[in-house]
Amino acid sequence: MLRRTALTGPATHLPGRKRRRPHVWAACLTMASVLAGCSGTGSTISTAVEDSSSAIATARLALHLESSGKLTRAATSTALDDSLKELETSRKTVLELSPATEMERQAVQEALGVLDHCAASLTDARDAAASNDGGPTLPDGERELAAAADRLSALGTKDGGK
Amino acid sequence: MKRLLGVALGVLTAIGGFVDIGDLVTNAVVGSRFGLSLVWVVGVGVLGICLFANMSGRVAAASGRATFEVIRERLGPRAGLANLSASFLINLMTVTAEIGGVALALQLASSVHYLLWIPVAALAVWLVVWRVKFSIMENVTGLLGLTLIVFAVALFLLKPDWGNLAGQALAPAVPAEETAPTYWYYAIALFGAAMTPYEVFFFSSGAVEEGWSIKDLVQSRINVLVGFPLGGLLSVAIAGCAAVVLLPAGIAVTSLSQVILPVAEGAGKVGLAFVLVGLVAATFGAALETTLSSGYTLAQFFGWSWGKFRRPAQAARFHLAMIICLFIGLAVLVTGVDPVLVTEYSVVFSAIALPLTYLPILIVANDPQYMGQHVNGRPVNVLAMVYLVIILAASLAAIPLMIVTGAGS
Repeated sequence: MLRRTALTGPATHLPGRKRRRPHVWAACLTMASVLAGCSGTGSTISTAVEDSSSAIATARLALHLESSGKLTRAATSTALDDSLKELETSRKTVLELSPATEMERQAVQEALGVLDHCAASLTDARDAAASNDGGPTLPDGERELAAAADRLSALGTKDGGK
Repeated sequence: MKRLLGVALGVLTAIGGFVDIGDLVTNAVVGSRFGLSLVWVVGVGVLGICLFANMSGRVAAASGRATFEVIRERLGPRAGLANLSASFLINLMTVTAEIGGVALALQLASSVHYLLWIPVAALAVWLVVWRVKFSIMENVTGLLGLTLIVFAVALFLLKPDWGNLAGQALAPAVPAEETAPTYWYYAIALFGAAMTPYEVFFFSSGAVEEGWSIKDLVQSRINVLVGFPLGGLLSVAIAGCAAVVLLPAGIAVTSLSQVILPVAEGAGKVGLAFVLVGLVAATFGAALETTLSSGYTLAQFFGWSWGKFRRPAQAARFHLAMIICLFIGLAVLVTGVDPVLVTEYSVVFSAIALPLTYLPILIVANDPQYMGQHVNGRPVNVLAMVYLVIILAASLAAIPLMIVTGAGS
């Protein structure tokens, strides 16, 4: 009983404690602003490119394994779906950016163009994996993904150079 | 002979039951980003779980009661509530992650979307918890989980540069593309995955379910000290496969479908079949264990009748609690939240809650009133104190590192 009073009663009315609260909130807000400020347009695009490169590399590996008869169609199709989902997430983060300068606007536009191309390539690869009628073949899908990987790599190099 | 078979079965199920969705995802993520440079954390985590699981099994065997029940009685309702809150919430996150893991594994086998598998997985978990005998449930999922050994087989078939892998493991360093805070964030995640609190509560409650006594202590010790380290080697094999195939290809693991690609590369469709069976068994087994652990912790705290050795009607609140937990997990998953993301957060939050789980176990294991002559020896206590310092450091560093690294991204 005594311990409960000591813990909950007077402590909440300590004047020093009350005064400290606004400072704690201010410190939290400052920290949040600093953290938010750290993730600028350049770094968001870089992260999106890295994540998309990983997604395209996964799709290429999955397609290659299916061509070699090492992966089932169900596993390939799941891997391609997951890659497309990862790419869409990256694209969305770039779409949500609010570029402040002309250079940033150009960078966003360029990144979106490459990511759109990657999404189209992934969709083609998915069609190739699902095709039963001799339509797009697995090598067609692999070629599309290789081209997407090249464009992402070029964008990554350019982005890294800035 | 019968005893020897019992020991062998115990060890095999301990190996097969060691790996869950947290171990699968975290080891694959770490392997694909850091190679084997974080393998030392698996060693630290496995030694820690051996230490505390063994302690917890001894509490159950010596007192005839589950650890959580004893903690509640020995430390009082307030300390027991802190222990319950931390363990239960982490457990609930883990239940959610495991059911999601079962659904993702079934999607890999069938290509039917995982959201459609989630109700099926939850229903299957409930049916097994409701109807199947404890020993059958544990042995079947544990033995089927052993098929995950295919990760180790695939690693050999991939013919890696062993010298390079050994170099990464023995001289750990932060890779050039990663930062030190990210390295330490994943170190904590791996530690949390290896020392998940539910494993200890399940182990001690399982001991009561199976009616262990002092004469079973040797078998319990062998299960833990042989089975868990071998399970840890499975974790290393998962990281190794990712380090050999995914890291050089620039693939950072974000989904379960990526985890199986190295096995397909090394062992083809046969390996793929084994890994899919193993994934379903490991996640389903862990879903059963976490669901039961939710019921165990609640029932043992509130003093309800519990246990699968009782008919459901005799432990109604225990079974109802588990059904509610399954519904909560189901409700979270059907929102479309990524189960892999839930897993990644659950292992980090596990690490945060570790002191609240393991300190009470250490206190109880030193109380002669419950333990009699089986209290911890000095070497065990010294090691446990070292672990408490590590656990506390990991717990305190986890949230700042999560903020600084953007949850390891």
